[in-house]
Amino acid sequence: MKRVLDRLRESGAIRVEFQPIVKVGPDHVELYAVEALARGPRDTSVERPEVLFEYARRKGVESDIDLICITEAFEAYTRLPTRPLLSINVHGATLASVDHFSDRVLSAAKAYGIAPDHLMFEVLEYRAPWAIETFLSTLDLLRDAGVRIAVDDLGVGASNYQMIVDCHPDHLKIDRHVVNGCSGDRWRRAVLESIATLGRACGATPVAEGVETTADLETLLDVGIDTVQGWLYARSMPPEELAHSPLLSATQQKKGHCQ
Amino acid sequence: MKQLLIIDNEETILFALKRYFAKLRWRVDAASELEEAEALVAHTRYDLVIADLSLSSGGSTEGLEILRFLHTKSPATHVILLTAFGTPAVEREARRRGAQAVLLKPQPLPELARVADQLLGAQP
Repeated sequence: MKRVLDRLRESGAIRVEFQPIVKVGPDHVELYAVEALARGPRDTSVERPEVLFEYARRKGVESDIDLICITEAFEAYTRLPTRPLLSINVHGATLASVDHFSDRVLSAAKAYGIAPDHLMFEVLEYRAPWAIETFLSTLDLLRDAGVRIAVDDLGVGASNYQMIVDCHPDHLKIDRHVVNGCSGDRWRRAVLESIATLGRACGATPVAEGVETTADLETLLDVGIDTVQGWLYARSMPPEELAHSPLLSATQQKKGHCQ
Repeated sequence: MKQLLIIDNEETILFALKRYFAKLRWRVDAASELEEAEALVAHTRYDLVIADLSLSSGGSTEGLEILRFLHTKSPATHVILLTAFGTPAVEREARRRGAQAVLLKPQPLPELARVADQLLGAQP
């Protein structure tokens, strides 16, 4: 029987969908970036991304899977008619442990004709201390090449102040747990206000994940967070579908317009 | 719909069990490796797990590892352990780790379904 890992290593086995990230202005919405989201092979036990990455973690192959996902994201990105900022998740352990990660990834990007300044890496599951010097020098190399860095899932798990202090991110991706329901919850609103203040002080752009209602969007705009991602604007979709999305073909839409 | 996880490294057995229980209107997932099974259990609430004791060659006992994992992560899940090498010691250890039934392979499918229904019917 073919092992799961062997199946995942087959070209095209891991599929990539994109979810738009938009910037909401007073009377228009523009596409800011697309986040690449990996999906396991269809009709397999690891089709769901949470199971796929749990399997990778238990098997100790997060970095292998990350590299496959990055390559598949590049491949899928070339199927888009325009070139928005491409955001890709990467485990902290991958940045710390893969030899010459920045060289390998930047070479692959070049092969696909993707400029480094069109790339953003969202760092997740950062757990210091382990090869912290390698981790930080990899981030520096990527940043020097023009790649943007984001901390992912800010507000839950290991995405904490230490991560911000160490990573010097350009973007703060706020976890949906903090965002969802913020319009009716003063605690969530207070946390969002503090992140907006933190972002301004550090020169990092906050991005709210999991925005699903106009009420939550209004709260985010009210506290100064105008870059958002969530079902209110678009679900994740295959590149072929995104290619026909009005978000991609026309960069401006009315505020609050849903897909 | 009741949720079932079948764990076995023999493709034909996985296929047969999956097909049989799906026809009985179970929602069935299948895994052939320890880590694959653990990843599924970590993100799914199963009513029943049917696991083979050995998932690799040489009389291995990954099934006992899965029992330990289930006992910690999903104590309400019922477990049937299948083994081709049943000994009183293995059965004792399996039951100590939370298996409600230990059955010898090969097991007729209707008998396996009967035990499954019996286990789930017995729950409060």
